Amino acid sequence: MYESKSGFFKKYVDEVGLNPNVGTWAWLLHRITGVILVLYLFMHFLVLGSSLAGGETFNKWLSVVQNPVFHFLEIGLAAVVAFHLLNGLRITITDFFFVTKAHKAIFWVAMIIFLILMIITLIVFLPRIFSPH
Amino acid sequence: MNQKPGKGSAYGWLFQRITGIFLAFFLILHFQVLHFTKDWKIDFSLVTHRLESTWWVIFYLIFVPAGLFHAFNGAWQVIHDYRPKSGTRKTVKSLFWILGIALSAYGYYLIVTFTKGA
Repeated sequence: MYESKSGFFKKYVDEVGLNPNVGTWAWLLHRITGVILVLYLFMHFLVLGSSLAGGETFNKWLSVVQNPVFHFLEIGLAAVVAFHLLNGLRITITDFFFVTKAHKAIFWVAMIIFLILMIITLIVFLPRIFSPH
Repeated sequence: MNQKPGKGSAYGWLFQRITGIFLAFFLILHFQVLHFTKDWKIDFSLVTHRLESTWWVIFYLIFVPAGLFHAFNGAWQVIHDYRPKSGTRKTVKSLFWILGIALSAYGYYLIVTFTKGA
């Protein structure tokens, strides 16, 4: 997609500047959410790894990541996962079913589903933040 | 940038989509069970109880390597966009494969730990 040799972040600014359309924003957000999820995966492995020291140590770590602050961050995680998942399906559908011309329409359908999922997420998660155990 | 397409890049593209479709279903289920259920305070006994089911063990045995492949292949695509030199390409690719396999093995070890219980 990109041929310039500019800097680490400048290349993304250039890319959006060259083609400031829905597809480019989707590509950029897919990349950002992807990197966040890779970093999250390592953290996830770290927390799960505490189980090697026994159930009690595992529970201690789990109580740390299940406080109201982390439940708030969990809304962000759900948003990152939902976007990456839905836009990933959009990419797969446009690639496999030869509907590249409809990619913008599919993106907006994906975003409507995203909004619905986020409303459900807020309904489920907000009580956990304001009324912890 | 005279990059030869090579077989690897097409397989990377294909497997990113195949693992992606798997992960879409798996992650919805994963979130449903671990984030959206009434029983939302997760602890060790809850995890070991779930891992008593063979289906959940099979689920995680696929989930772990599929997720790691998707993560490292995705990270590789990000690096690939910077057109790294041949030496860097080989180093990063090898490193990602080693890390991916090592973390899969670690994940499997953790699954075994959870199936054994407290």
